[in-house]
Amino acid sequence: MKVALLVLLGLSQLPSSIHAQEGVAGSVKRGGVIRYGHFQEPACLFGGWVQQWYLQRQYSDNLVARSEDGKIVPWLAESWTISDDKKIYTFEIKPNVKFTDGTSLDAQAIADNINGWLSSAPDLRNPTAAPYLSDSFESATAIAPLKLQVTLKVPFQPLLNVFAQSSQGILSPSALKRGLAVNCENPVGSGPFIVDKWRHGREVTFRRNPDYNSAPATAKHQGPAYIDGISWKFLPDQTVRYGSFIAGETDAIYDIPAIAWKEANSRFPLLRHITGGTPLRLALYTARPPFDDVLVRKAFAYSTDRKAAVDTSFLGSLPFEGNGALSQSSPEYLPELGQSYTYDIRKANQLLDQAGWTERNPSGVRVKNGNPLIVRVSYSNAFLKPDGEQALQVIQQQARAAGFDVRLQPTNPADFFAGKNLGPDDYEIVLLYWVAPGAEIFRISWKPDQKGETNRFNPSRYQDLTLWDIIQRAEQELNGAQRVALYQQAERKIVDEAPVIGLTVLDVTLATKPNLKDVWLDRGSVGEPVFYDAYFDDGK
Amino acid sequence: MKIAAHHPIVWFARRIFSGVVVVWAAATFAFLIQCVLPGDRAQIIINATSGNVGVASSAELAAINAKYGFDQPLAVQYGKYILRILHGDFGESYQQHRPVAGIIAEQIGPTIILAVTALLFAWIIAVLTTLFIAGRDNMWAKLLNDTQVFFATAPPYWLATILLVVFAVKLRIFPVIGGSSPAGLILPTLALALELSGFFGQVVQNEFTRVLEQPFVTSARARGMSDFGVRLRHVLRHAALPGISLSGWALGKLLSGAILIEVVFARQGLGGVLVAATSSRDVPIVSGAVLVSAGLFVLVSLIVDLTYRVVDPRIRLT
Repeated sequence: MKVALLVLLGLSQLPSSIHAQEGVAGSVKRGGVIRYGHFQEPACLFGGWVQQWYLQRQYSDNLVARSEDGKIVPWLAESWTISDDKKIYTFEIKPNVKFTDGTSLDAQAIADNINGWLSSAPDLRNPTAAPYLSDSFESATAIAPLKLQVTLKVPFQPLLNVFAQSSQGILSPSALKRGLAVNCENPVGSGPFIVDKWRHGREVTFRRNPDYNSAPATAKHQGPAYIDGISWKFLPDQTVRYGSFIAGETDAIYDIPAIAWKEANSRFPLLRHITGGTPLRLALYTARPPFDDVLVRKAFAYSTDRKAAVDTSFLGSLPFEGNGALSQSSPEYLPELGQSYTYDIRKANQLLDQAGWTERNPSGVRVKNGNPLIVRVSYSNAFLKPDGEQALQVIQQQARAAGFDVRLQPTNPADFFAGKNLGPDDYEIVLLYWVAPGAEIFRISWKPDQKGETNRFNPSRYQDLTLWDIIQRAEQELNGAQRVALYQQAERKIVDEAPVIGLTVLDVTLATKPNLKDVWLDRGSVGEPVFYDAYFDDGK
Repeated sequence: MKIAAHHPIVWFARRIFSGVVVVWAAATFAFLIQCVLPGDRAQIIINATSGNVGVASSAELAAINAKYGFDQPLAVQYGKYILRILHGDFGESYQQHRPVAGIIAEQIGPTIILAVTALLFAWIIAVLTTLFIAGRDNMWAKLLNDTQVFFATAPPYWLATILLVVFAVKLRIFPVIGGSSPAGLILPTLALALELSGFFGQVVQNEFTRVLEQPFVTSARARGMSDFGVRLRHVLRHAALPGISLSGWALGKLLSGAILIEVVFARQGLGGVLVAATSSRDVPIVSGAVLVSAGLFVLVSLIVDLTYRVVDPRIRLT
């Protein structure tokens, strides 16, 4: 399977004693606190932002889990049945599970969570679940103490994928009643760790949940975690984060800097997950010239050697992704689309001539009806790694040869969130990604505007009703192979019409000390580090 | 009348009044800024929370607007804002959903400790170098003087990174993640203090050299006092005055400098919180921090003026 290939384990430098680990008794594995260096600190310990999911994964459990090969396996739900019309899901909930505040984790508690996600109550609303489910979800009800029924208006086959994402972790409904101020600081789940204290600006400490009995089927063991806790430090500076690891002050760190990628690979065990969903791509504004013309969109793609730009900027730490529709770890990914629009300046010139951009002004920029071929690129470092800016500069230079006048519009995160450089007349290209397990992301990216409501997650403004029809058919297709085929049909169409052009991916990388074993990255969606199975093999 | 104006209580009342005006102006400025900055406030709150961009649905926007009172006229919002501040309530963070006063109270301690230690360090370095090099014309004096100029112009952020890589990552003398341990305070303190010691050093040294040529210095020497004794007991006292008046300004500079340094060294403090608040435009936190800084600045300048009077009683409080 493709996904397995992407798990990069730098095992070559490990001491030989590592292979003697099989069969170590649980008691030997017990103890120790993992000092983990993370990158960004969120404002709340749960919620819809990726940085919050990482934390939520440690203290809450999901209804179901998603394995490395994309299969949905039991977690809080031991089993489930789906009605023939695929509208009613009935889950059997694991008995005797308790939230760490003592509340019983039963069908009612889970129903309260799910109904809350889709409600308008700001304390309960879930900004990740809502765009997936709002069109299909009807209700969640407890039909027996341990029997949960989720009813849909129309079939939505990716439902279980959505339930497997960490942002949909189940929280104690009695704790949720305390309001956001308390819950952001001290959320309560049923997971292997309990949020102990959040020292803002420094770290979140977790302690072991001694009564943990609800590990997912993807875990390597059952029962409480081996380690005593996690000291989850926030180390935004790359030098400090990597330096603390080299100096032995942390046992694991997130996001190895590109400059240290080679060295880290040869010295430490590395974990890597390339996130699914949409890759980091250039979304071309298709609702007005010049990119309303598919020929010009393709010409832009051919005029830029994006592979070279990515290789030189990220120093081999990130792969090029030519498939703008879907990231390479998504099960529906078509590898041949990953090499789409390889650099071909001759073709780019041909396409532009064909599209009527035949004249050039004295500075070499193409002109049509008196308008120069100006392309403004909006981006923010909230969505782009520091080295990404260099990749854009390379692209800017390359596209010049074909007659594009590319102008970069770097925007700080606050202004970007406020909509600066993102208005309908403000950009021709914008750089964004959205992580998810797979092609169910198409619903979010390509849902057309309906009933006067603009789909704000479609910055390409590409609205193709045929494409939307294929996506909806895929979501409702009961046969797995046929669903994948439909998603791939949509994927081909997106790449062919080029409303988005692939650049690179978003990855999660983790370096761990050789004596720290069995840390793994969740495959539910964004590769959250999982410390539940981890232990120190020297009894630290 | 003239005597009354110089009465310490009158002086004090005037200082307090002008302090209140400064804080009020800072509060008003912070309020106006958020209204003038581009973009809808509710929009930013929604997007920064979810990590999305694009226009949110009107229902979502309306809920946020109602929650934070953005739907009221600006004058009403301003009035409520000032009233709340008068009650010591700085509002609630848009992102953290907690009272801003609590967030600042929790973080300001380490920042103040860092700024004050850096100020002390800067003074110690400046005084020591001055005692040794002022008025002397040898190789060491020249070298130290050049070093001072170098530090005065080196950006602290850059200096911090160099110190970190050399003394923590490579030589392992200090911890990389300092936390709030005393050992972890040294590198951040140095990163801030070195720049300032360069400034102080240059100012104090100029004055020092001038004072060295004063007649009372010559008479002290004639009375048989040692060179070092003259420098320490007589000259320094006079030369320190311009440095002391600079300290008020320096502490303000240190507080803002500490914010960047804290982020480099992953230290707890206002820095990390402010950087995060700025990038998600969490206005209540930013304006709360502006207010507290203005208050601190007023307080520090008051202390500086009082110190000045103690060091040189001839100075009148005006």
